[in-house]
Amino acid sequence: MDTDGILLLRLALLLYSLGLLDSFYCVVKQRRKLFKPALYAFAAGAVLHMLALGSDAVVQGRLPVQTLQQLCSMAAFFMTAVFLAVYARFKYESLAVFMFPVVFLLTLAGALGGAAPVTYRPVLNWWISIHVGLFLLGYAALFLTCVAGVMYLIQERELKSKRPRALYYRLPPLGKLDEIGYRALAAAFVLVTLGLIAASVWAFAKWGPNWVVDPTIALAFLTWGILFAMVLSRLAAGWRGRKGAYLSIAGFCCAALTWVVNSGAHTFMSQ
Amino acid sequence: MSIQLVGMSHRTAPVEVRERLAFSEEVAGELARELVRGDALEEALVLSTCNRVEFLANGEKDALRGEVFRCIQDWVNGLPVGDESFYSYDGRGAVRHVFRVAASLDSIVVGEPQILGQVRDAYQRAKDAGAIGGFLDRLVSHAVHVARRVRNETEIGKMAVSVSYVAVELARKIFGDLEGRSVLLIGAGEMAEAAAEHLRGAGTGHLYVTSRTSANAQRLASSFGGEVVEFNRLLELLQSVDIVLSSTGAPGYILSKSTAQGVIAARRNNPIFLVDIAVPRDIDPEINDVDNMFVYDIDDLQQVASANMKHRQHEAEAAERIVEAEVDRVLRHLQAHSAGPAILSLTDRLESIRRGELDRHQSKLRDLSAEQRDAVEALTRGIMNKVAHHPIREVKRSAADPRSRVSVADIRRIFGLDE
Repeated sequence: MDTDGILLLRLALLLYSLGLLDSFYCVVKQRRKLFKPALYAFAAGAVLHMLALGSDAVVQGRLPVQTLQQLCSMAAFFMTAVFLAVYARFKYESLAVFMFPVVFLLTLAGALGGAAPVTYRPVLNWWISIHVGLFLLGYAALFLTCVAGVMYLIQERELKSKRPRALYYRLPPLGKLDEIGYRALAAAFVLVTLGLIAASVWAFAKWGPNWVVDPTIALAFLTWGILFAMVLSRLAAGWRGRKGAYLSIAGFCCAALTWVVNSGAHTFMSQ
Repeated sequence: MSIQLVGMSHRTAPVEVRERLAFSEEVAGELARELVRGDALEEALVLSTCNRVEFLANGEKDALRGEVFRCIQDWVNGLPVGDESFYSYDGRGAVRHVFRVAASLDSIVVGEPQILGQVRDAYQRAKDAGAIGGFLDRLVSHAVHVARRVRNETEIGKMAVSVSYVAVELARKIFGDLEGRSVLLIGAGEMAEAAAEHLRGAGTGHLYVTSRTSANAQRLASSFGGEVVEFNRLLELLQSVDIVLSSTGAPGYILSKSTAQGVIAARRNNPIFLVDIAVPRDIDPEINDVDNMFVYDIDDLQQVASANMKHRQHEAEAAERIVEAEVDRVLRHLQAHSAGPAILSLTDRLESIRRGELDRHQSKLRDLSAEQRDAVEALTRGIMNKVAHHPIREVKRSAADPRSRVSVADIRRIFGLDE
């Protein structure tokens, strides 16, 4: 990462953390009007973050998804973008409180790498970068599904207990959480499917039929399978509400696992 | 001139005293007129609700209490009304009390919305009775502003504290928006009907009514514009409606857990909210353990209402801070708009100009005779008085009429009275 990029990324990190603090304050104190600064901080942070990624892309001549730090940073940027899009539609401040701690940590991980020397993996060309980008955006959407699932479980417990406590007043209605979770899941499924198709066709052309043997590839297909099962369980079996929420959380965990295992390069690529 | 308030509320007097002084709107207007009849008070307003009666006035210091007792003597006679039943405030305290009352911080049910309307009505009555001048006019509009701020910036009025509203609020927490949600009313009952009414106000869609006695169902359906359904179609309906309000006189459960499990499967897990207002209960409370089914009985609703009440009290603390800040702001504003201080500053200002100019020309006037000197004195004073005459009249007029085009603040600025 070049020095301009790292500076921009650190500024974005600062804005995210300020926004996160303000979101906590608004949600705890229930002062919705005070969320404006947080929203501006997130939006400005996202712009700087995008510039940081863009500057890296220009320097490297490809999408900056080569190292683990870059992947973290890119994932965090997509999560912020997803949050801003959902907030524009639903206006739930509490989502920020659940999403931005993770965004913050990922951005921090991305920024900690410092101005690392640029190392090229020749195999990661523009084309395969798109596969990674689609997957990352899909994961960001899946993360939202997971967050909505967690919030659903908390709110459901509040409603079932019949003793409203602090969170009952601060979390969105169940129906809306279910809707957000489901829409995000559908988006994640489409993105991951596209990403997988892109990568498969490319890998098949390059390596022939042997590439599927790679275990991490199998794991990636497993993730897709989980997503497919989640969508199917909802559409065909009508799994929603609590079961759907558990499934969302489990699905995200599987996807995150695949990501961690896969985040370097696939083993076959070094062959 | 001072702002003062005398009142009695649920905090200081029991209902048997309050009910005797619960004046009708007409009487409240009459009393306001009566209060300003004498010379002591310039403006007055009387607010009377079931929980309070408040007399607010602008006039000679400490005059209100005496005037109030003179006016309400006929009502108070024979009542155990001691001095401790009434509280008095003046100046800052009075402004603060008015704001707290309007913002519903002094209500029995903190945050209830009716009081603001009652304050507005009282103001209108007093205005119609000719008892309102510029000062109270501004004070009341500030109070309305403060009440709105409190409502917008805190959650004080957000959570329901009456059982029938709690049902609506819970439905919102379950479904998100209620637009187009279908409702089933099983049996008649005051609370169920109130809840149905509130739900309809929240925009719910089709209403089905069923009852074991069809006459009841017919009556409810016609009063709510709903559709009457045979009681034996209950299970079929449960597969499609979103919200159920049940209050039959049935001795046992009309919906068991095993039936409910079949219902939710048939609904493909679409959530359903079952409100059981009947005693004995209609719906097996264990159904609440079934995923996507939410059962609240009357005690549960009550429990949520009292939790909401606590929540409101917590919010009231934030509201008090808003009131304090507004009191300070408004007092400064009222000060800038009141005639007395402005007139005083204006005459002081002109007099100091006159003195200054006379002193400056001291050397040239030294040779004048005493008579001539008196003439100069009278001449300059005369000019100043003539100059001051119109501005002072405008100050008085604009202080009395908030709609006047020139404000007291304008005059203060033109003559540099704040420099």
